[in-house]
Amino acid sequence: MDRGGTPSKAEFHEAIARRADRWYSVCLRITRNPDMAEDAVQDALLAAWNKRAQFESTARLDTWIHRIAVNSALQLLRKARPDRFEALESEVVDESRVPDSIISDGEMEQNLSEALAKLTDIERVCFVLKHLEQWRLREISDELDTNVGNVKQALFRGVKKLRISMADLRS
Amino acid sequence: MNEETLTLYYYDELDGAKRRAVEQALAGDPALARRYRVLSRRLDALAKVESHSAPSHVVARWHDVIDRAAAREAAAARQPRQSFHPGSFFWGSAVAASLAVGIAIGVYMTGGSIDPADTPPVANLQEPVPERGNAFSRGLLVHFQESRNQLNGLSPEANGERSELIMSIIQQNRLFARMAKQNDAQDLARVLRALEPVLVNLAAEDVTADEAARLQSQLAFELNIVLTKLSRQVSDDTDAIDI
Repeated sequence: MDRGGTPSKAEFHEAIARRADRWYSVCLRITRNPDMAEDAVQDALLAAWNKRAQFESTARLDTWIHRIAVNSALQLLRKARPDRFEALESEVVDESRVPDSIISDGEMEQNLSEALAKLTDIERVCFVLKHLEQWRLREISDELDTNVGNVKQALFRGVKKLRISMADLRS
Repeated sequence: MNEETLTLYYYDELDGAKRRAVEQALAGDPALARRYRVLSRRLDALAKVESHSAPSHVVARWHDVIDRAAAREAAAARQPRQSFHPGSFFWGSAVAASLAVGIAIGVYMTGGSIDPADTPPVANLQEPVPERGNAFSRGLLVHFQESRNQLNGLSPEANGERSELIMSIIQQNRLFARMAKQNDAQDLARVLRALEPVLVNLAAEDVTADEAARLQSQLAFELNIVLTKLSRQVSDDTDAIDI
């Protein structure tokens, strides 16, 4: 890919061809809604195209669009479910149900998507952004307009619930 | 040492002093080191989420979005920029687009027939809402009539409000597209989606008069095709809509 300035139309097409599934996947994990995920990626592509003069040539175009798509997905989710997204539910997690053994990779991959569905929006988003997207906690709290402590708690709860959910699915 | 601290250590989210304290504890406490290894394996395993493939027609639509945006830019670059007061033109074109889309869906849902050559989309909405058709299609017409009135009542200088409303129209079009999709009218849904980039460009504050006119023309052309094909399909009394 040419890194010599504003990305061209061909480079956008190349990025779509190579990374569309990845953008769609992360947006789907965040929203859990295929229509919203499609919209998020489309919004991101249009935004990236319209602002491509601001693209820094040292960065990767697909990574830049990926980040914009995540932001688009978060915006759509907040717009669709503002009350649920802002609420930080404090559910008690029974740690005794967390399995001692490690679930196999195959089972894990198969069950994790299903287990993600059992998290609240805030837990799922914090888990996806931190664990899968490697955002810093501060970035997540800024993006979600909350404090780092809330993000940590949502993340801890999410991780524990995921392990419990997968233990249930396994049994 | 609790699991939260070890989790933050795993995520490299501890500051220097706390991180060093954890490292020292791990080095001096074999049981804690074992706990951390187990925790790390569990967290590593949580990264193995299955990925989802975007539907091929959706990927095609994304490619098309870029093509359309590039084509619009290229056309605009060939034309001289002029001073242009957006005002009522924006309202007229953007609202007309959505109103026509609403009618298109109304035709589909009600099974009625509208000849676009005889019945201009916007003019048609000045008529009372027809009593026939299902509640959904009648509700759509009412909604669009109200939207039109709200838009017409806005000041031309209210750029921010105007953009917000056009984005709201886009959201409505997305809802209609989803409804069409749920009613197995995939092609209609795709056409509705294809209108979105044009609306987005109309919402831009720096659009030139020539560019806006071209967008309006493009929008009208595409909508006429949709309406013509829809009315033909409906008059043939078939369920499928092939656009």
